[in-house]
Amino acid sequence: MTPHYTALKAALLGSALALSSAAYAQEIKIGFNGDLSASPSAQSGQAGVLGIQAAIDDINAAGGILGRKLALVVRDDLSQPPKSIQNMSDLIDNEKVVAVLGPTNSGNALAWKHIPNQKKNPSIGCIGSATDITKPASPGAENYMYRVSMVDRAQVAGLIAYAKKNPATKNVGFLVETTGYGQGGLKDLQELAEAKGLKPVAIEKFGVNDTDMTSQLNKMKAAGVDTVLVWAQGTPIGQLVRSMEKINYFPVTLTSWSSDNASFFDTAGKTLAEKPIFMRTITEDRTPKQQQLYDRLAPKMASKSAFSFAAHCYDALMITAAAIKQAGSTEGPKMREALESLQAPVEGIMKTYNKPFSATEHEALTAADYRWTHWKDGKLVTYSDDVVKTLQPSDFAQ
Amino acid sequence: MDVYIQTLLSGLAVGGVYALIALGFSITFTTTKTLNFAQGEFISFGAFVGVTMLLLLSGLTSTVTAVPGEAASAWRYSAAVIGAGVVAGFMGILIFLLAVRPFAGKGGMNWVMSTLGFGVMLQSLGLAVWGPAPVMVPSPLGDDVLRIAGAGVRPQELLVLACAILIMVALDLVMRRSRIGKAMMAVAHSPQTASLMGINVTLVMIGAFALSSGLAGVAGVLIAPIASASLFMGMGFALKAFSGAIIGGLSNPRGCIYGGFILGVLESAVGLWQAQWREIVVFGLIILVLAFRPAGLFGRTAVDKV
Repeated sequence: MTPHYTALKAALLGSALALSSAAYAQEIKIGFNGDLSASPSAQSGQAGVLGIQAAIDDINAAGGILGRKLALVVRDDLSQPPKSIQNMSDLIDNEKVVAVLGPTNSGNALAWKHIPNQKKNPSIGCIGSATDITKPASPGAENYMYRVSMVDRAQVAGLIAYAKKNPATKNVGFLVETTGYGQGGLKDLQELAEAKGLKPVAIEKFGVNDTDMTSQLNKMKAAGVDTVLVWAQGTPIGQLVRSMEKINYFPVTLTSWSSDNASFFDTAGKTLAEKPIFMRTITEDRTPKQQQLYDRLAPKMASKSAFSFAAHCYDALMITAAAIKQAGSTEGPKMREALESLQAPVEGIMKTYNKPFSATEHEALTAADYRWTHWKDGKLVTYSDDVVKTLQPSDFAQ
Repeated sequence: MDVYIQTLLSGLAVGGVYALIALGFSITFTTTKTLNFAQGEFISFGAFVGVTMLLLLSGLTSTVTAVPGEAASAWRYSAAVIGAGVVAGFMGILIFLLAVRPFAGKGGMNWVMSTLGFGVMLQSLGLAVWGPAPVMVPSPLGDDVLRIAGAGVRPQELLVLACAILIMVALDLVMRRSRIGKAMMAVAHSPQTASLMGINVTLVMIGAFALSSGLAGVAGVLIAPIASASLFMGMGFALKAFSGAIIGGLSNPRGCIYGGFILGVLESAVGLWQAQWREIVVFGLIILVLAFRPAGLFGRTAVDKV
């Protein structure tokens, strides 16, 4: 090899490196941190990533934001809080992402919600539904936690509103599982019921692995309960409706959205699965926009019922991009200001967002955006009856 | 009245499961003075061996979240139960040779850690093969609720109850009447003496572990249509079954069975009062039993002559 040739090669290599690092610096990086492989909810995380990637592709095809392309950096947290915390620091400090989307599990968001606030780096949740995720650390504190997904408390508000408006409902009972999820739901149920002047005549609990809830249901029956509000995961709700069949007692059953899981459907069986009514953001009666995204992602989606998360995450990315555009910058504090005062409406998959966030409102989707759902012939379809028709957005007030 | 019959029936159905697994604990304890703490993983493992057999026998190989109803016809299901029992029994021999025998008779509690470890290995192996998702298994007897004096029960729950009682009666007869049973009881009484009497002590111990693990595998397939097969389902059942065994008396197989049933009915009855107090009542009872009758409720009354 001649010295001359070596020099040429070095020059070529150097300029190639310079070019690529220039392109690298121009990219705006967005992070995703969530479970993609370790728990049953990993399918929701996978769908979320597909949605984010689709949104990034759309934005880049239209020329990017501020003349720069968007790039996605994905980190799997294996549903473990310590790993999730580590991922947050890695994404923000090492990868220099401008915002983080996710996580899959609510508990992990609660474990690291202080990090986006300390680093002034916005986090837009699009999967986990725990009420407290978007709560500020203290009233009035700067809060970088936003969400485009369901919120437990808003669902509870919906269920309470239904029970309140249903003329056939005389006695309400609460049935929850003994896990953190169930207990959190019970707290919301009790608080909102009291605020609405609804008094439960019975409150019963069951274990997440129980296979027979006939004792609890018999107590409900004895108390004259005609409407039960259930807060539990998919499998135990399945066991609950099976126990209802055993004692032939079928009150109106309003449940948390976990009844949309395949695990609920498999446990309950096709007929009994049609009993619960619950709230969800998307049913199989999709709008044209939702259908378009569904058709685009369906071949890559492992679980079709996780499509809602793809849609939420698509919209979360679109709102983030709109904030960067309005702020004219990717600095956290400027993005936060823009997120809380978005001027132009954002065209999303779920809806068109007009000023989705404000200093106090960090939820882009609220109960009015939810849809009443139930299983019908093995499909998740929109549910409607006389009570649902009379419900107004004001009934969902929390 | 209906309510109490329902409580009793539901309790007996769950209690049958506990009793079956409690019996497995008792078998290894009486012969080797050790316990297989991987019993819970054997239950889950057995359930998935059963699922695999049901799918293979009906020509389905794809991974599913629910086994179709027609795949669980009576003969296929029976074959799956037996198959799971045999595979789990074979794993039982492995656990004895690898994790129990090196430590048996040496004092100390090394076998506690080694059997627990074997269970963790078994679970990881299961996760690698079958994945974490639960699989719903249909009952061979269908899923329609049967009414008995106004109380509802599913056919599979009666099947579990019937199988539990049948297996227990059969084992009881074998233990008390046959030479093998007498050899096992002799080993339980004193391995040294049994050895001097010409009994192959190691073989008897291997047999005990195979039998106990086989029972766990059978229990897994029997429970699957009630609780759905999951690699995490065994732990909860095994803990309750162990509690039942302690209440009844670990050294007395019949006592373990009664203990399992007592626990099931007690849980169901507490649910009629305050379901969230269930675990407190159950484990409170265990502490009381251990304090006043350390050998269990039926531990002392059954003195058998060999």
